[in-house]
Amino acid sequence: MNREQLAEELDRQIDALMQANLSEEPAPPDWLAPITRELRLLPNEQFHARLKQELLEQAESLESSDLEAASEILPSLRQEALPSFSTRQIAVLPADPRSLFLSFLSHAALVALIASGVWVGHVTLVEKRSLAELTYTPLPPGDTDPKGGGGGGDRSTLRASRGTPPKFSEEQLAPPAILVHVEKPKLQADASVLGPPVLKLPQSKQLGDLLSPNAITPSNGTGNLGGIGDRSGTGIGTGRGAGVGPGDRLGYGGGFYRSGNGVTAPRVLYNPDPEYSDEARRVKYQGNVVLSLVVDPTGTVRQVRVAHSLGMGLDEKAMEAVQKWRFAPGMKDGRPVAVEVNVEVSFRLY
Amino acid sequence: MKTLERDSDDRQLIEAAQNEPARFAELYEQNFVRVYAFFARRLSTREEAQDLTAEVFHQALASIQGYKWQGTPFVAWLYGIAWNVLSKHWQKLGKHSTQELSDISIAGEEIERTVMLGKVVESLLPDQKHVIVRRFRDQKSIREIAEELGRSEGAVKQLQLRALENLRQRLGGTL
Repeated sequence: MNREQLAEELDRQIDALMQANLSEEPAPPDWLAPITRELRLLPNEQFHARLKQELLEQAESLESSDLEAASEILPSLRQEALPSFSTRQIAVLPADPRSLFLSFLSHAALVALIASGVWVGHVTLVEKRSLAELTYTPLPPGDTDPKGGGGGGDRSTLRASRGTPPKFSEEQLAPPAILVHVEKPKLQADASVLGPPVLKLPQSKQLGDLLSPNAITPSNGTGNLGGIGDRSGTGIGTGRGAGVGPGDRLGYGGGFYRSGNGVTAPRVLYNPDPEYSDEARRVKYQGNVVLSLVVDPTGTVRQVRVAHSLGMGLDEKAMEAVQKWRFAPGMKDGRPVAVEVNVEVSFRLY
Repeated sequence: MKTLERDSDDRQLIEAAQNEPARFAELYEQNFVRVYAFFARRLSTREEAQDLTAEVFHQALASIQGYKWQGTPFVAWLYGIAWNVLSKHWQKLGKHSTQELSDISIAGEEIERTVMLGKVVESLLPDQKHVIVRRFRDQKSIREIAEELGRSEGAVKQLQLRALENLRQRLGGTL
């Protein structure tokens, strides 16, 4: 193939990639799809120049007015939208007695449920309406180590120092930091890590990574993005993300467990029926959909995906149904944890 | 050593912007692509990404006087503002943001990839850069680009081929 033919061929493949229509084209080379995707994300020069002009005008108005007065116009905005890295409020993190009480109540209720025999491993739905059967199947025992977590750091040369994380929060206003230099912060927000607030880890006055070997020299760690750790994120740990632990994303360990090895399986508390799709009913289409999902520490269903597809709109119907399910969460060491389970939905016409 | 130099640069630029707000332009130039890429990866339209990018820099400039140096990169502060702006945007649209916001854990590396790609595109010859930007970023056809450049479609395809070869060579194995 000469250069001219090569250029023609490449352009056809680019066209196909842009229109996501690869059926009639030879498969594009591996490098082309990512470069096509990445190039689409480049900013527009006109926008860049226009915004710069706007900022210069804003700067001019700030300079010409009293800067102090200008800063007073925005306290509510700042309070609402800007993070603070204050250390004043994160030095002491006492346990909230209300949380403790609620935690005690929820645990007591959980024990009562187990004792009363409400737990069932399989759930058979009423057939009069659903024409479907759902089987809830905890997965085989898995790795005892959670997959997720968080990380961060300020590109220090030292590993993050040892300590404990701040509380978990659904929204992170300020990332944790060990080394900060704020003498009199104007904006304050408690440092937190991202995850369900029901997650509780040991806490102390010393922020840091529970698992770090550096127990002596204070350091935010060798990672980046502002948390504490050795990779990236606004959390704590050797992972990446805003949670705590060696893995990714959020929460403690950020990922999830499987039942077994000291982790109890979640139990179904509320399981509304799935519906048959019209198209499947019309052609009497039957079969099983297997869904994989994670029950988070609050008992809510997360990360539903189809592990075995059936089609004809039944995958979607099965997913719709399990999204509404509620569970008593899986437990590990007396604490609720995210646990992955499988749900098999059998669609049968009687 | 590089980190220390960058921190020192950040600190000097921040102090300069606090003393003279027009100097904020330098912080803007240094971080514009990162903030834009943060949004472009998470939003479906360019207009949304542009609006929210503008909001972040306007807020940052308005608040630069209150910024206190803590040894963390300035861009981390901008990401914090961007996070909140995005969260509010999604809340306004009725989206649940917590799960999607957790994607920030992988954003750092991806954003840096976009920054590097932008620099490499900038380093291309003007005609090659024009073809790449118009074809990929702006989704223009070869015919439209040929008209803009006053060249044949075949010549533009050759330019496109050479530009992509150069991009691949300069990016090494990163894409």
